[in-house]
Amino acid sequence: MRSTARLWLVVLLSLTLVLALGAVGFAQEEDMAALEKKTADEAFAKADKGNPDPSWQGKKFTIAVLASGPRGSISGPYYFWRPYFEQLTGATYEIAEIPFGEFQAKIFTDLATGQGMYDAITGPMFFMGDYIANDWIIPIDKYFDDPRMPKWDRDSIAEPIRNLLQFGDNWYAFNNDHDGMVIYYRRDLFTDPKWQAAFKEEYGYDFPLPPRTWQELLDVAKFFNGKDWNGDGKADYGITMHLKVGEQGFFNYLALAASFVVNPAPGDDPTKVTRYHNVFWFDPETMEPLINSPGHVRALELMIELVNAGPRAMLGWGLAEAWDVFLRGDAAMCFTFGDVGTLSQDPRQSAIRGLQGVVAIPGSTEVYDLETKQWKKLDQPNFVANESGASWSPVISKYSKNPDLVAYLCSLLATPEINHWNVAWGWTGVDPGTTYDFLPPFGTASIDDYVQTGYDPQDVTEFLNAYLEMWFDYPLSLPYLRIPGTADYIESLDIHLSEALSGQVSAQEALNRTAQDWERITNRLGRQSQLELYREAIGYTGQ
Amino acid sequence: MANRTSDKDRSRILFIAPAIIWLLTFTLFPLLYSLYLSLHGSRFLRVTHFVGLENYRMVLTDYRFWQAFRVTLIFVVSNVAATTILGLLLALLFNHPIKGIRLFRTLSTIPLFAAPVAIGYICMIIFYEEGGPINNLLITLGMNGINWISDPFWAKVAVCLADVWQWTPFAFLVLLAALQSVPDELYEAAALDTVSSWQTFIHITLPMIRHALVTVVLLRTVEAFKIFDIPFSLTNGGPGLATRTLTFNVYTTGLRDQNLGEATAIAFLLVIVMLSVTFVFFRIYRSQYE
Repeated sequence: MRSTARLWLVVLLSLTLVLALGAVGFAQEEDMAALEKKTADEAFAKADKGNPDPSWQGKKFTIAVLASGPRGSISGPYYFWRPYFEQLTGATYEIAEIPFGEFQAKIFTDLATGQGMYDAITGPMFFMGDYIANDWIIPIDKYFDDPRMPKWDRDSIAEPIRNLLQFGDNWYAFNNDHDGMVIYYRRDLFTDPKWQAAFKEEYGYDFPLPPRTWQELLDVAKFFNGKDWNGDGKADYGITMHLKVGEQGFFNYLALAASFVVNPAPGDDPTKVTRYHNVFWFDPETMEPLINSPGHVRALELMIELVNAGPRAMLGWGLAEAWDVFLRGDAAMCFTFGDVGTLSQDPRQSAIRGLQGVVAIPGSTEVYDLETKQWKKLDQPNFVANESGASWSPVISKYSKNPDLVAYLCSLLATPEINHWNVAWGWTGVDPGTTYDFLPPFGTASIDDYVQTGYDPQDVTEFLNAYLEMWFDYPLSLPYLRIPGTADYIESLDIHLSEALSGQVSAQEALNRTAQDWERITNRLGRQSQLELYREAIGYTGQ
Repeated sequence: MANRTSDKDRSRILFIAPAIIWLLTFTLFPLLYSLYLSLHGSRFLRVTHFVGLENYRMVLTDYRFWQAFRVTLIFVVSNVAATTILGLLLALLFNHPIKGIRLFRTLSTIPLFAAPVAIGYICMIIFYEEGGPINNLLITLGMNGINWISDPFWAKVAVCLADVWQWTPFAFLVLLAALQSVPDELYEAAALDTVSSWQTFIHITLPMIRHALVTVVLLRTVEAFKIFDIPFSLTNGGPGLATRTLTFNVYTTGLRDQNLGEATAIAFLLVIVMLSVTFVFFRIYRSQYE
């Protein structure tokens, strides 16, 4: 009898505990939702709203975005800010969500056939070459001084990203997302004297904290790979990446290869584009691919070694799977976009909040000189910033029936207050890239903007400073490919990278195949016209 | 008399007309238009100029076409063989009065009604290399996990398994129906002659279900040549080109690369291959049958 009563007591106490925990969790969620709404209202109140045209009332348009749902990356903000837009204009919009793998096919089909299903497209910026060459989108400069439009700060955007939004003398895309790749690492692990000593013993030099060259990074990844450093009884990984073919693994390669290939120009201006300097994709005189040149080959060889310092399964992983391994604490490093900086702060999916370090993309101590056809040894690493990623930004279709109304929405979301709110609330997938996202003394953001949304102060400081350093301090940047057929060129590279990384062919053979494909694509699209657009896209004047 | 005949003819024509119009509109016209496209250049879904057989030349000199062709053939041979053999084995097993056979038959059709894309996504979970159910089971049994998606060989196996899982019930149902139509007297006579089970199968069962078997093989072959959804959703054609099929190539060339000329050329080459296989198959079958 007594034991039955005791049993009931245990059950009752357990239930009470579960309910109490649930209530606390629910209350926290409620608090966050209320805070989110409060800060959004404040941002909205402060943002410039222009003077919405009364004739817009009752109108409706469609915007195509990456399919991630109402609380997902890139698509989320469009759902979130819709009521605010409706309140201002009396108009509304539909959100057409398109999966990454189908994005190009759907958008290009719509634009090429002139159906005009999508008034605006928040797409990857590597579509820009096709947009421009086919005259599919409209320039947006005329809206900058339009009194109806909210004002946004173009000068505050990091230069590499700012360049992506323009083509020739015109602006075509509105400020939104700012993608680039960095290295995330486990700060607790890297600063542990035990591991530092073991590393020195194994590799013969001090633990690089953090790794600033690719060779150092490779050594660190190898060192931690296969060791049970988190004490869960299983071997852990050195590094994780997302390398499934057809996904976004090629961005990892581009970010890695940049410092082996992009050679600074001699003289006063290291950023000057010549035939042999600051080029990455093609020879700007002949349009011959550079993709199988020695710099690229060595970069891919290093990437193959990096793959061996992580789970082989990553060859079949998209973003979520690769991030998950790092977030749950099973990988020492993660080589990816800005999203992890945010996701790591969410205790529902991350075990590493407060333990995360971030470093700007490493450099290489050697770079291949296309002019002398020799490797150049450098005293300091060749640091090359990357805009690797889609930098999802809205453009207006020339078939849009309401381009001014569309421009109003895009301008509103580009205002510093709303754009920064999106960055601070990381679930939006909008990554930092403007001076108002970064911390003083360089930037104007307050660390409280981030801490109140759940960021650990040191995590977010490292996160923001890594991007700040890469985009504002690095002397060179990887030229983005923005010519017609970019998606074809990229698809070919993606396939052959996958072949090399999965051990089907050597690095040289994979890149030779890529070069062969690229020649076919160039010939099909017209070598001369491609050459002219390529020169314009990278700013090559032939001098 | 003449009037009545022409009225009859008119009625016939009226009855046949919808079918003919349907056929012309939705089969013949697209076919001819595709042929037209395959002989023209295109840029961003716009037809440019007549190029003769240039698109075919480009396709046939592209190693990606041959790689996709090889992968497709692997899937056709392995998937058709596995589906037919498994379907036949299951049909033989269930061609007995078993309790609950109706329920099993109904349940067994479920994979047939599942969308292949959904199957692909479900298999992503099943074949997940880091903690997926199959690898977990293997590791629990003391074995190593398999690189289902990241290894070129195992990625093909994963696609095959998903496809076979979906189509085996089709073969099972058709062959079970065929088995149940074989007269019992034949088996009774064989039993009187004390023929072994194997000989009964070879000399009685197999000849009696031959037509159904041919139907299964033929329909499955045509379906297997068209395999697209499962590799698309499960492996994205990778790693590299390891699971990229011809139909996958048509999709990427036509809709991603916006190159309709080469895409339709690949599609026509696929049709030619399929027709050739079907023709040869029927020739062999007819010669044996006659």
